[in-house]
Amino acid sequence: MTLQNLLRIGKLKPHAATAAEVQRLLVAIERSLADAQVAGLSSEARFDLAYKAVMQCALVATLAAGYRPSTHEPGHHQTMIQTLPLTLGVANDDWIVLDALRKQRNANDYTGQPIAADAVAECLRQARALREALLARLAAEHAQLLRQHG
Amino acid sequence: MPSLADQLLGQTRSRVLGALLLHPDSALHVREVARLTGASPGSLHRELRALAGMGLLVRQEVGRQVHYRADTASPVYAELAGLLRKTAGVVDVLREALVPLADRVGLAFVFGSVAAGTERTGSDVDVLILGSAGFAEVVRALAPTQEALRREVNPTVMSIKAFADKLVAGDGFARSVAEGPRLWLLGGEDDFAELAAHREAQAARGHRR
Repeated sequence: MTLQNLLRIGKLKPHAATAAEVQRLLVAIERSLADAQVAGLSSEARFDLAYKAVMQCALVATLAAGYRPSTHEPGHHQTMIQTLPLTLGVANDDWIVLDALRKQRNANDYTGQPIAADAVAECLRQARALREALLARLAAEHAQLLRQHG
Repeated sequence: MPSLADQLLGQTRSRVLGALLLHPDSALHVREVARLTGASPGSLHRELRALAGMGLLVRQEVGRQVHYRADTASPVYAELAGLLRKTAGVVDVLREALVPLADRVGLAFVFGSVAAGTERTGSDVDVLILGSAGFAEVVRALAPTQEALRREVNPTVMSIKAFADKLVAGDGFARSVAEGPRLWLLGGEDDFAELAAHREAQAARGHRR
């Protein structure tokens, strides 16, 4: 699968990213990650926030690559996870875990299956790793998106 | 060690029946059966014809191809599928995948629709893993089984104490798992009864306080 293939089957649309939107989303990623560590929240709530950061990282990487997800298509979370090896070079070993985190989120949202402490910790770990990979990729290949904009 | 189903039915026969009876919605061509079971198409032709002759499989001609599927109207279909579910199917494949983590997994079992035998095409295999193993290592260990089982495997991984605490708290998930059917991968009903008894003792102490 390539990003072009995902475009052809309607899972992605072409998109020209702007510095303003990318920087707004980078701030949102930091906020999600910080909120995911707030003591006193349930495992489920912290997991949701860490998972949100995963999605936001995947989204920014996709935008920078010139695409955006078709959010009216069913399964756009799955599409976002699918793009990670293509946009940020996520290795298969981590991709398997990210896709499993997506399934945990579905099972929690739709059947009330609980989120255990270690699934929260793993989601947070994966989200942080994606943020690092994303920032490195933006700095190396899309520096214009990180510059001050007017 | 060969599975119980392999020993009872022979390896090829148990795998063929597992591939078809545990997926009653799919009709497979002999080459697909060969890929799923690792048996040669030559020997499978004979095997499939024999099983159809016994009334366990239905033979269908689709254009110029011959497909086989489970005959769910067979009087022994439910019992045979149940036997395979516990041996040749899900249980053996998942148990084998968990072996490398066995020292960190106290109890592991399949729950939900697959354990109850009410699964449909597309149902995930829900697995509860209780012990000190981490979420990521469990997911990585179980990932390769998804192809063999032709189902997504969705593990819930937590410590024994975390699950016992949920039982004490009357958590809906823990209760439904405790009350529903289980297919054991590691550990067994005795261990689970012990966990539940421990929980009741804890709850009783809680009431006295």
